[in-house]
Amino acid sequence: MTPEATLTLRAPLRQRVDASTVAWATLTGLMATEIGAQKAWVEGEGSARLGDLFDIRGAPAPRIRLVGDLALLDGIGTGLAAGEIVVEGDAGWHLGRGMSGGLIEVRGNVGPHAGAAEPGAKRGITGGEIIVRGSAGRQLGAGLRRGLIVVEGDADAGAGRAMLAGSIVVFGRIGPDPGLWSKRGSIVAFGALTPPTSYRYACTYRPPHLSVTLTYLKARRGVPITPERLTGLYRRYSGDLAELGAGEILAWIP
Amino acid sequence: MRVRGVAIEDTFAEAFTMRVARVIITAGSLRWAREAALKMTGFATSVIGCKCEAGIERALTEAETPDGRPGISVLLLTLSKDDLSQRLIERIGQTVLTCPTTSCFDGLPEAAERVRVGSALRLFGDGFQGSKVIGGRRFWRIPVMEGEFLVEEKFGLQKGIGGGNFLILASTADAALAAAEAGVNAIAGVPGVILPFPGGVVRSGSKVGSRRVKGMIASTNDAFCPTLRVVTTTALPETVNSVLEIVVDGTDVDAVSRALRLGIEAACGDGVVAISAGNFGGKLGPHHFYLRRIMSAEAMAS
Repeated sequence: MTPEATLTLRAPLRQRVDASTVAWATLTGLMATEIGAQKAWVEGEGSARLGDLFDIRGAPAPRIRLVGDLALLDGIGTGLAAGEIVVEGDAGWHLGRGMSGGLIEVRGNVGPHAGAAEPGAKRGITGGEIIVRGSAGRQLGAGLRRGLIVVEGDADAGAGRAMLAGSIVVFGRIGPDPGLWSKRGSIVAFGALTPPTSYRYACTYRPPHLSVTLTYLKARRGVPITPERLTGLYRRYSGDLAELGAGEILAWIP
Repeated sequence: MRVRGVAIEDTFAEAFTMRVARVIITAGSLRWAREAALKMTGFATSVIGCKCEAGIERALTEAETPDGRPGISVLLLTLSKDDLSQRLIERIGQTVLTCPTTSCFDGLPEAAERVRVGSALRLFGDGFQGSKVIGGRRFWRIPVMEGEFLVEEKFGLQKGIGGGNFLILASTADAALAAAEAGVNAIAGVPGVILPFPGGVVRSGSKVGSRRVKGMIASTNDAFCPTLRVVTTTALPETVNSVLEIVVDGTDVDAVSRALRLGIEAACGDGVVAISAGNFGGKLGPHHFYLRRIMSAEAMAS
């Protein structure tokens, strides 16, 4: 079992907390007191120490485990380059902002802009993996440059908007305009989805790279992949044809 | 030393250091993975004339492959790293890329040394190709008429061993062949080894150089040819009328030793007079597999 440091929320959050100021990329190498000294920004109150918000045990460790309802905690995993962050519950906005490597697993729902570009920027995460066991808010993986984002539930509007490369896999329903303005990259849909009008149907086939992705997710990330999905047929839509047109939406045929 | 009455000669097999890659070919069914593997490993018996040595290592189950499909593991060996890269590009490009339903993966992902393969083959995609990074490994997607061909960007390589061998000295050609078949069957599926010759068996063992042709790399091993018994310095006992060789290439000394041990043990049957081995006096190859030591290990193990 991977050694881990556990950060348990001391009391329910009452307002949004911006944790993008936390040095998530170095957190795995820090002692509990050093993690506790990291600063976050509490809406309406100002700066707060992580140690004031969380009870911290077990550091340093290659895995950071966050426990509690963190739907109001934004910017978890900002700048992560290696190591693992596991969120035992919901997570807030801008999960994995500026991430280039490592793994973030959310065992609940995640708010808008997970893995997405920062406001005003073109590029989302440039590497690593985000696994969401619940559902994701709007603009999931917008501007995604590289990396893999998996959502076992639904994804709201604008998933993969203007993505540049990488893969987004959604097991539930996908909201309006997935992959709009994308240049490259793959959106894999196991649930209901309507491709944007700037995408065109290409063919029905078994994408070989998807077999590798799904086999990897099943073996290494515990994602429930059924044999039907592994060996099934997918409708390929190419787009966004208003952009480079080298992207794709792969819609599983149940 | 004797194994079931068959003399094990006090000699050794002399083998060489080579560079080896493991290629995993998967397909929609084991049949098509095997079709690609057979083509890929065709005309790859000896570096002397084929520029590489290759063979099927074993079949893989769905649980053992990167894409959850049945597959075949192939080992390909050359004398240098540059040769290995070129042979992989040529052979995967002509035999795996062309074969229906196949994908092609690196079977030595932990190896430190790597050669580019998919990144060269991607050019067949004529600008329509794309790549995916999955679990830290980059794959190229090359559009083809059937759909897509998926090939890993880089393949690992490591030092391997070529030319492990043993000779079956038999009273008749039929007995030699039966013993060779038994030996091949015993080695089949041993991890880390291949038998690069037809059916795993060689009838034309060679010596270095030639008596007559200057510059010739290899010529017939006259000392082990029964028809030449009275016109050359023979290595054959009176009762031997046919000799066959099993050549074993592998990823490491332990794998080759294990294969030789299993093969010799199985080959010691009716009509076999002795087991010998091919060497060059120990001056050319750094790996020496002493038959009696190998079989003593078997005796100790059993």
